[in-house]
Amino acid sequence: MAGRDYLGEFEHIIVLALLRLADQAYGVTVRQEIELRTKREVSIGAVYATLDRLEAKGYVKSHRGDPTPERGGRAKRFFRVTAKGVAAVSRTHRALESMTEGLGFIRSYA
Amino acid sequence: MTSQSQFVQPPRFAVWLLTLFALDDEAESILGDLLEEFSLLASKLGVPFARRWYWRQTLKTVLQLAVLGFRTAPWLTTAAVAAGFFLRKLVAPWVEPPIFAVLEKYHVYEHHFSVYMFFASTGIDIGHFITFLFVGFIVAIVARGREMVATTTLGLIFGAMIVVALPVEVMRFGYAMPLSRVMVYFADSLAIVIAGVIVRRHRLGAAARHQQA
Repeated sequence: MAGRDYLGEFEHIIVLALLRLADQAYGVTVRQEIELRTKREVSIGAVYATLDRLEAKGYVKSHRGDPTPERGGRAKRFFRVTAKGVAAVSRTHRALESMTEGLGFIRSYA
Repeated sequence: MTSQSQFVQPPRFAVWLLTLFALDDEAESILGDLLEEFSLLASKLGVPFARRWYWRQTLKTVLQLAVLGFRTAPWLTTAAVAAGFFLRKLVAPWVEPPIFAVLEKYHVYEHHFSVYMFFASTGIDIGHFITFLFVGFIVAIVARGREMVATTTLGLIFGAMIVVALPVEVMRFGYAMPLSRVMVYFADSLAIVIAGVIVRRHRLGAAARHQQA
C-alpha cells in the first residue's frame, strides 16, 4: 500500500544512522556509523543506492555542502530524514516490536 | 601546509571506473566521499591498505551503480539492450558479402593468395569487430546516462552465448573451437563495451565543458 510501506532492513539501518548523525549525515559518516554499529563492511554505493531510493519515496531529503580541498574540491551531499521518513521508521519499529513480542526464546539463542 | 599535489591519490583506474558508472549527479559525492576516507586510511594505516580498501569499495560500488542505473530507467535500458541484440542479428549477415565481392572483383585469389587469405579470415574478424562497435555505439547513444549499464549487459549476453556455445559445439560436432577463435568472439563482446566507454567519456567531457562555460 503506497505511503504505508515498511522500511527494508538496510533502509531501516540507514534512516536510523541519519537520525543519529543529525546535521552531520553525509556519505562518509553514514557509512562509518553503520560499520561501527553493525560491524559489517558497507560500500558507499550501497549507501547511495539506498539513500536515492529513500529520497524517491520522500523519506529523506538531501542538499549539497561546499566543496572542500580534502575531497578534491568536491561537495558533500548531506541528508536528513523527513517527517514522512520518521513516520515510516516508527511504523517499522512498531511492526517489529509487535512481531517479536512474547518471543523470549530469541534472547537465549542470541 | 599540505598542498593538493602532496595528497596520496587513489588508484586512477578505479576512479575512472567509478566515473563511468556513476549517474551524473552521483559522481561528485561518491568520488568525494571515497577520496576523503581514502586519505584518512592512507595516513592511519598506510597507502597499500588504503588502495586495497579503495578497490574493494570501487568494485562493490560499480555493481550497485549498475543496478541503480537500471532500476531508475528500466525500460530505456532494456529497450537499448534489446535493440542492440536485434541490430546485431540484422547487421551480421552483411559483413562477409562485401569483403568477398571486393576480393572476387579484383581477382585477389588468383594473384595474391596470402592477401586473399588475410581478408577472408582476419578481414572478416575485423569486419565483425567493427559491427559490434557500431552496435555498441547505437546502444550507448540510445541509453543516455546509462551507457555503461546497457553496453556491459549486452556484452555479457553475447559473452554468455559464447560460453554456452562452446560445450554445445563440442557435443554436437566433436570439434573444440581453437582458443584464438574464442578470443576473437570475446573481443567482439568487448567491442560493445568499448563503444559504451567512448560515448560515455564523450558525454562526460561535453558536460564538463558545458559547466565550465
